Amino acid sequence: MATRTQFENSSEIGVFSKLTNAYCLTAIGGSENFYSTFEAELADVIPVVKVSIAGTRVIGRMCVGNKNGLLLPNSTTDQELLHIRNSLPDSVVVQRVDERLSALGNCISCNDYVGLIHTDLDRETEELVADVLGVEVFRQTIAGNILVGSYAVFSNRGGLVHPQTSVEDLDELSSLLQVPLVAGTVNRGSEVVGAGLVANDWTAFTGFDTTATELSVIESVFKLRDAQPSAIVNEMRASLIDSMA
Amino acid sequence: MVQYNFKKITVVPTSKDFVDIVLSRTQRQTPTVVHKHYAISRIRQFYMRKVKFTQQTYHEKLTQIIEDFPRLDDIHPFYGDLLNVLYDKDHYKLALGQINTARNLIDRIAKDYVRLLKFGDTLYRCKQLKRAAMGRMCTLMKKQGPSLAYLEQVRQHMSRLPSIDPQTRTILVCGYPNVGKSSFVNKITRADVDVQPYAFTTKSLFVGHTDYKYLRWQVIDTPGILDHPLEDRNTIEMLAITALAHLRAAVLFVVDLSGSCGYSIAQQAALFHSIKPLFANKPLMIACNKTDLQPLETLPEEEKALIEEMRREAAGRDMGEGAGDEGALMVMSTMNDEGVVDVKNTACERLLQQRVEVKMKGKKMNDVVNRIYVAEPRARDHKERPPVIPQAVLEARANEPAKPARKLERELQEEQGGAGVYSAKLQKHYMLADEAWKDDVMPEIMDGKNIADFIDPDIMARLEELERLEEGEDDGGEEEMEEEDLTAEEKEALQAIRRRKRQLLDRHRARKTTADNRSMVPRKFDQNRELTTGRMEEHLSHMGIDPSAAVARVRERSVSRQGRKRGRSEGPSMDEDGMQIDGSQGPAHKKMRDRSRSRSAVIAVPGDGFKDSAQKIKIQKIKRKGEMARNRMAKQGEADRVIPNKMPKHLFSGKRGIGKTDRR
Repeated sequence: MATRTQFENSSEIGVFSKLTNAYCLTAIGGSENFYSTFEAELADVIPVVKVSIAGTRVIGRMCVGNKNGLLLPNSTTDQELLHIRNSLPDSVVVQRVDERLSALGNCISCNDYVGLIHTDLDRETEELVADVLGVEVFRQTIAGNILVGSYAVFSNRGGLVHPQTSVEDLDELSSLLQVPLVAGTVNRGSEVVGAGLVANDWTAFTGFDTTATELSVIESVFKLRDAQPSAIVNEMRASLIDSMA
Repeated sequence: MVQYNFKKITVVPTSKDFVDIVLSRTQRQTPTVVHKHYAISRIRQFYMRKVKFTQQTYHEKLTQIIEDFPRLDDIHPFYGDLLNVLYDKDHYKLALGQINTARNLIDRIAKDYVRLLKFGDTLYRCKQLKRAAMGRMCTLMKKQGPSLAYLEQVRQHMSRLPSIDPQTRTILVCGYPNVGKSSFVNKITRADVDVQPYAFTTKSLFVGHTDYKYLRWQVIDTPGILDHPLEDRNTIEMLAITALAHLRAAVLFVVDLSGSCGYSIAQQAALFHSIKPLFANKPLMIACNKTDLQPLETLPEEEKALIEEMRREAAGRDMGEGAGDEGALMVMSTMNDEGVVDVKNTACERLLQQRVEVKMKGKKMNDVVNRIYVAEPRARDHKERPPVIPQAVLEARANEPAKPARKLERELQEEQGGAGVYSAKLQKHYMLADEAWKDDVMPEIMDGKNIADFIDPDIMARLEELERLEEGEDDGGEEEMEEEDLTAEEKEALQAIRRRKRQLLDRHRARKTTADNRSMVPRKFDQNRELTTGRMEEHLSHMGIDPSAAVARVRERSVSRQGRKRGRSEGPSMDEDGMQIDGSQGPAHKKMRDRSRSRSAVIAVPGDGFKDSAQKIKIQKIKRKGEMARNRMAKQGEADRVIPNKMPKHLFSGKRGIGKTDRR
């Protein structure tokens, strides 16, 4: 099920949270509302942890992870690292990466099996991604954007990418990632899907501005609540054309 | 997309207020004092400024009005016609035109009088010219009274118009008065339109919004229309006609089957046929209302025929042949909600189909074609990539309501003082081996060192290994090594030596652990001089052991070897050809000699800023001499804090009438 939420009046919730199949990280905010949205959905199943990274709240853009591990930028402090290690189960490998491009969340996008990375990332980082997260790694761009983490969100069941990705690119990416993909928007037409959406295999959270059409596309492609991606080309086709064209 | 929002038009003041506003603004924002002995150019300039400023203010205000009001030719024809119907296009244009003329006239008056002022030769004449200029401007404005009053009324009415978007998906509800149009709108939206059992309850357009297929739909409730020629229609009816004519919407023609509205089905059919031209190119539906009073089936034959004719009309003008037919006639009862939702859904569906068909032909379609496409992966290997969904999620999904309510942080926050007051502990959900560890204080920096740099996850294992190693050395190692070929005596001596050694070591360790914060005194400065080479020699001799080898070994390791008498050593080693070989002992001895105590230890280090040691020594001497006098009397130096005057006069004098004693 997809839930709309916002962090301190900002709909860019992907910036302030990180959701995987094994854990969920949220930023430390002024009130507990944002945290509790995740807590209500997930806390019975996976740990939901309030963290900061390098003293900032933009944790979703700073780190990258999946059920196997979590990569943190070099600027993470020792105390934050310790806090994250203590809060996550031992099966999740937490590792700090010496990478020049410290916004790992923008540069890397992955599910539990495959990962896309920024074309300029170090070779060592690439190896770390492969080892710690246990994924196959591909250097890719999405609709000409090298920030793959900002413009693609995918779980093991489906994914949403930049709205201007061409049909050919969609096919190629989908074959690489081995999940169905759809080009779409979040937050009332925002193309930075990574900032407006976090998803795992059974749930998703989107920004507060997300329209009903966008939300139903997300639910269909991520196969939440027994929805199927084929709904996008069948039942929803008319609504999509009318709202977009 | 153009937004039609008429709420932002600024208030139009009445002519009297207008004059007051402008004159008081001139008074406040231009200089007010002038004297007749000023230079005449200055006096002229003073009055010219007044005239120009007044003109400028008028100009700005009038321009604002002219620009704020929409130009009927530029806005969407729906709004153009709506405004025409409501306010009369000619009147509206005339009023704005008059304001425009007034603006130009004021500009011309100001220009003329400024020109005249250039020739004013006294203060009095200049003043009279200014008075005349302002007077004429204000008289002109006073004459605009009716136009301004009309515009203000229009503005107030416009700001209350519903914000209808002419481009979006719209359902337009029309029909005779009192047939149940507003009831229908109230059922499917939250518009809350007034519903009364008399005709013309709805006197203007009302907008509500409803959802269908993830989209937002605008539902417009129109006033009832009577069946008479267009010229005879009143303003209220014309609103409905305007909406019908210009909005590309799904039209819902509501027919009252029971005739309780006061009009027979025949009359309603006649209206339908007379406004038929307005339905061109729009999905049209006949919605038969009030079936609770009069079901469609029990209608007399001739009336049924009329309805059937309307249905054929509605279905025929739809472009889609098949789709048009079944939805063209629907029955509903807004009284008991029968068929209301079906009517709405059918109307939405028909409009959606039409809009999609139009859009499919448009150019913009090419840009979104990739977004209604789902890329399915082609298998590139035989690896399974199953989704990872925890069992708990699947179970929770299976038995939905059995989920026990969890106390959320949000609720805790509300209980404990709200946001900003409540602060949850970050350690709350730590997964540690021992619950009690959660509250452990974690030092970050200690003795200027980052603790985390020294944390070693394997530290316990390493410690154990080290301990094992040490024990092994202490107990076994040495003793086993030599003992076989020793006599009993020698063995005893060895034991004694080892005991003594361990004793010394233990004592040293004990002293070190209890040292706390005291600094350790190096052995060199030990007053007792307990542990010296001489004493060791003595002790060993007592035990009957030749101490020379031990003493030599200790001396060898001593730091202060310099003073020792030079022992016999090999000369610089020569190879066969008589060449000196580098790295032999020679140079080492030379260095030892260089470092004898007779010289000062002061060495000029590069970077100190001294040329050589001699200079450094000299400078140190000068410094000490300079400080001598001060140090002798323990007098204050230039670095000491000083308050030259504890009660500065300027801070502690003055009147104290109102309590300002120390600051003025």
